[in-house]
Amino acid sequence: MNGFWADIFNFLSSEKMWDITRAIILIFVGFTLAKLVSSALTKLAGKKVDNHRAMLIKRGSYYLILILFLISALNELGFNLGVLLGAAGILSVAVGFASQTSASNLISGLFLVAERPFTVGDVIRVGTTTGEVLSIDLLSVKLRTFDNLFVRIPNESLIKSEVTTLTRFPIRRIDIQVGVAYKEDLKKVREILNEVADKNPLCLEEPKPLYIFLGFGESSMNIQHSIWTKRENFLELKNSIHEEIKNAFDEQGIEIPFPHRTIYTGSVTEPFPIKQVSNKETQAR
Amino acid sequence: MTSEIQPPTSWWGDYNVGIGQNRQWRIGPLTLIARCLSAEWQIAHERTGEFDENRATWNVSDTDVPLDTLANIARYIFHETAGLLTLTPLLADRPVISRPHTPFNLPGGETVTLYVSTPLWVDLAVGSSHKKMTEIAIQRPSDTWFGPSTQEGELCYATTTHCRLNLKDLPQRPHRAITPVVIRNQADTTLSVERLNVPAPLLPLYAASNGRLWTPKVTLIREEDGDMAELKFDDTPPQEAQQAIQLNQPRKTTSEGMLIRAFSAVFS
Repeated sequence: MNGFWADIFNFLSSEKMWDITRAIILIFVGFTLAKLVSSALTKLAGKKVDNHRAMLIKRGSYYLILILFLISALNELGFNLGVLLGAAGILSVAVGFASQTSASNLISGLFLVAERPFTVGDVIRVGTTTGEVLSIDLLSVKLRTFDNLFVRIPNESLIKSEVTTLTRFPIRRIDIQVGVAYKEDLKKVREILNEVADKNPLCLEEPKPLYIFLGFGESSMNIQHSIWTKRENFLELKNSIHEEIKNAFDEQGIEIPFPHRTIYTGSVTEPFPIKQVSNKETQAR
Repeated sequence: MTSEIQPPTSWWGDYNVGIGQNRQWRIGPLTLIARCLSAEWQIAHERTGEFDENRATWNVSDTDVPLDTLANIARYIFHETAGLLTLTPLLADRPVISRPHTPFNLPGGETVTLYVSTPLWVDLAVGSSHKKMTEIAIQRPSDTWFGPSTQEGELCYATTTHCRLNLKDLPQRPHRAITPVVIRNQADTTLSVERLNVPAPLLPLYAASNGRLWTPKVTLIREEDGDMAELKFDDTPPQEAQQAIQLNQPRKTTSEGMLIRAFSAVFS
């Protein structure tokens, strides 16, 4: 029993124990310093850079300091760093093969950071998901959709697929597709559409509204009227302009038709005979 | 019931509204009612869509029309209300793009002075310390984009102008301020003016003795090489404004009264 305690006492008073203590202190100091420095750097850079860069600075400085202290701690413990790095190299190849998806996401993440197609706070559309970017991390991008759901999109799929950034440019175009009856005067329709756009203060005067005749449809002449607005007013204008067009068309007697079907029996046959009957007659039967 | 009260000479200035009273202003297309309560102000406003621009008038009256008959209503809570309301006209918070009804051409070497009017806002402040409540556009101008592309440029307000050359032809309108714009074409080629950028946020506002509102003179110079344009503005009221009093400072300040911009940022 005495021997056991003596061993422990020897170990505690040995050089080795001091190395371990120093290593632990180094790791502890590393953690604290990394946290302090990264927060201080973010605060310093806070107003000068955007959210995305601030996050990069925070994470970059945190991990850099932490890794340096960890290496020093390992050094204190007597590890030969050269051998350790070599072993890490072999290990990383093995791990890389085993975790291809994660590695691919990681590299895609680096490309995303370098390419900067969007930043934190932007609104993006990926496939059918539209949302605000909460963070761009090494493995994935996190979105908050407008119905308040949290969506995680792997970086690899972002690199491979089409991503639309909705908040990149300050102004946006709204395409309104409307059909008018064949009897209507297109010139008048065009004038009414322009007048409606002109009266709405949210609709930009310049770039001018665009009028495109899309073609003769099955039951209507189809028109596209494209108007521009400030990005923030997109939804408001989209809602109000449709209502205003409908009201203006009603006022001016312009018909927005719904699909018509004309039953035609061919040129060789007689027209369908139609017989009108009164209500009483129908009830009697 | 609406009773006219003895009008001051202009619609802006200090007004005393008794507790529980409603005061109504009609300025051009805007109807504004302010109601003073013991610890709050209620402000209602509405704009009429159709009105004759050239025959715009203003009046102030006591009214008992309920505030909720107007489209927009807002409440402002204070610890105590003194019943003092100050109305001040303000210029637009973004540059105003003025489009002449008919674009005109200015041959090389020519100089012209045009009178361009821009829409105004009403600033509402209460008490002797002029605590700001809100500002309301008398006539909400349409938004427009002014820049070389849809990616670059700035959001402005759009207004159409007759670009009158003679001051006598200019109708007196309570809801618009006049800016004398001098255009100097120093290049050899003819300058076609389709749109003019009036830097409203950089200009102070003056009231002349006849009740007209003025901004300092703005000079746009198209330089000889044709690529750059100089935009200068005075810091004194224009000659046309007699015995002018300054009503407010510019919304934004610049260190110099001169800007040199790309040609496309001033003319279009």
